[in-house]
Amino acid sequence: MCPHEIEQPVEPTVPAPETTLGLGERIAGVLLTRSPLGFLVRRVAGIRASVHAKLLGAFLLIALLLIAMTALSLQTISSVSRKSRLLDQARERVDASRQIEQAVGLQMNVTRNAVTLRDEAAIESILREKNRFADTLARLEGAASPGEREAIHRIRAAEDEMLRTVAQIAHLIRDGKADEAMALHLNEGYPQYREIATLVTRVVRSEEAGMGRLRQSVEAENRQALLLMGGFAAASIALALILGFVISWSFIIPVRAAGGFLGQIAKGDFGATIDVPNRDEFGALAARMNEMSHELHQLYEEQRTLNVELERASKAKSDFLASMSHELRTPLNAILGFNELILGEIYGEVPDELKVPLTDIQNSGKHLLRLINNVLDLAKIEAGHMDLALADYSVQDTVMSVTTALRPLAAQKGLDLVAAVPEDIPVACGDGGRITQCLMNLVGNALKFTQQGGVEVAVDLRGDVLHYRVTDTGTGIAEDRLETVFGEFRQEDATIAGQFGGTGLGLSITKKFVELHGGRIWVESEVGKGSTFSFTIPLRVERAETV
Amino acid sequence: MSEKTILYVEDNELNRKIVRDLLRRTSYRLIEAVDGEAGIATALEQRPDLILMDLQLPKVSGIEAVRALRNAPATADTPIIAITSFALSGDQQKAKDAGASAYLAKPYSPFDLLDMIRKLAPEG
Repeated sequence: MCPHEIEQPVEPTVPAPETTLGLGERIAGVLLTRSPLGFLVRRVAGIRASVHAKLLGAFLLIALLLIAMTALSLQTISSVSRKSRLLDQARERVDASRQIEQAVGLQMNVTRNAVTLRDEAAIESILREKNRFADTLARLEGAASPGEREAIHRIRAAEDEMLRTVAQIAHLIRDGKADEAMALHLNEGYPQYREIATLVTRVVRSEEAGMGRLRQSVEAENRQALLLMGGFAAASIALALILGFVISWSFIIPVRAAGGFLGQIAKGDFGATIDVPNRDEFGALAARMNEMSHELHQLYEEQRTLNVELERASKAKSDFLASMSHELRTPLNAILGFNELILGEIYGEVPDELKVPLTDIQNSGKHLLRLINNVLDLAKIEAGHMDLALADYSVQDTVMSVTTALRPLAAQKGLDLVAAVPEDIPVACGDGGRITQCLMNLVGNALKFTQQGGVEVAVDLRGDVLHYRVTDTGTGIAEDRLETVFGEFRQEDATIAGQFGGTGLGLSITKKFVELHGGRIWVESEVGKGSTFSFTIPLRVERAETV
Repeated sequence: MSEKTILYVEDNELNRKIVRDLLRRTSYRLIEAVDGEAGIATALEQRPDLILMDLQLPKVSGIEAVRALRNAPATADTPIIAITSFALSGDQQKAKDAGASAYLAKPYSPFDLLDMIRKLAPEG
């Protein structure tokens, strides 16, 4: 770890998207959890019937309610019209009885006037009116109560008697016996009128009372019908609403559950289960989903087992490579060590003709060693065993160590090797050794593939990212090979390896080290003009990335 | 008495022979140990002027041996060159932390090692 760690910028915590539930949703939520409706919804969902049947049932129920409502309305309307007909009849009867009352009064007046004025012609008119009176009386009698009917009989009898008296009075007047006529009128006619009037008044009262009772009963019945219809309408609306709510939620709940379930699956939670109370198509769908989830889970597990096995195999391969590299290096160390001692004439003078082959042994051995080291590096990176030794390092010193080490090679080929590193680059943090290795690879390659001109190493800091650039005036890389240069054992041309040496692993390893530092590497090149290899790494690397 | 003693703790015979041959023409006297435990014992007993410590050792690792020698008064100030394995880049830091005076990554050139020895313990 680097001693001066830069505070990691705190990642802004993205607020979870507020679940803005509409008022309707909230009401539905309360109804579902805190009222028997929730139970009802689950019961309806649990009915073993198809969605089609459930919807049909619900609509039929609502249709039945409408039919019942219509029937009730029709019945009420017919009852009201019947009552109003009765009321009309009652009113007619009251009118008729009042007509009789009036007629009786008229007869009495006419009789009195006739007696007083000795005018028998007036009396004739009474007798002429006799039939109309009887008609009206008969009309009244038609639907009369027994008490009334008796009164009507008596009226008729009294009327008949009275008419006889009136006829006698008329005779008397005609015969000029005015005094007798007056006496008859006062002694018989008038009392008879009085009796009829009393009887008629009784009938009128009775008819009026009957009509009043009828009106009251009609009003009461109307009120009742209104209440019944209002209640029925309210009950129907409530029932329809409940039905709609229950049916729709019995469908919404499984759909939402499926949505949540698919969300879980989409997030990779294979094996998640969905539990819905439905035993309809939604229930079947949920069962299918559970099967799918189970299947996915199994596939996932198999895949994971396979991956673990693959990883194990890959790790075994890498371990083998790592240990083989180590085992190869031990004897190679000895070969190189002893050869160097021989060349250093520790064992005695070396004849001149042996010096060249001995140097060749030394160079080939070193090449083999580099190859083995690179293979070991790659194996370790692939096995995930490559740990970066993170520490503070100086960018200037790193670049300088590379140019210093490679300047003899550049001089040997007559090439310029220049470094351009601004002096104000602060102390960096990372694996300085590995970054040196990367630069050695890039600059070494550049020198290798450049015959004239030179190589420039430049670094600049943009924000908190270091940009390293190695530019050469060499052979360049064909455009279609730019993508593959960072692969393993990919030299531009197989003959180049022979011509220039190199392991074919340098760029691959460089790329991995850059990535372990959380950086990126790329190349721009033009055949015949040269190449620029660039990589970026954070100024301060706090922990290694996995590659 | 100007002859300086160097202790080389290394389990590989050929590596020991290279150093043995390297120092044959110098005035240094070489003593050897084949594991960490023997290395510590020899160092405390013979008090060499310089210790070459390979870090990959059987029994007691080189790092532990360096730490033990640093904690012993007799060898607290003795220069120790840690010989680290290539690629284990963490080794250099570990060696430094344990108290090694210098380190040299394997594979090293024998003559580079000789230069380092001469710097830390000049020949009499």
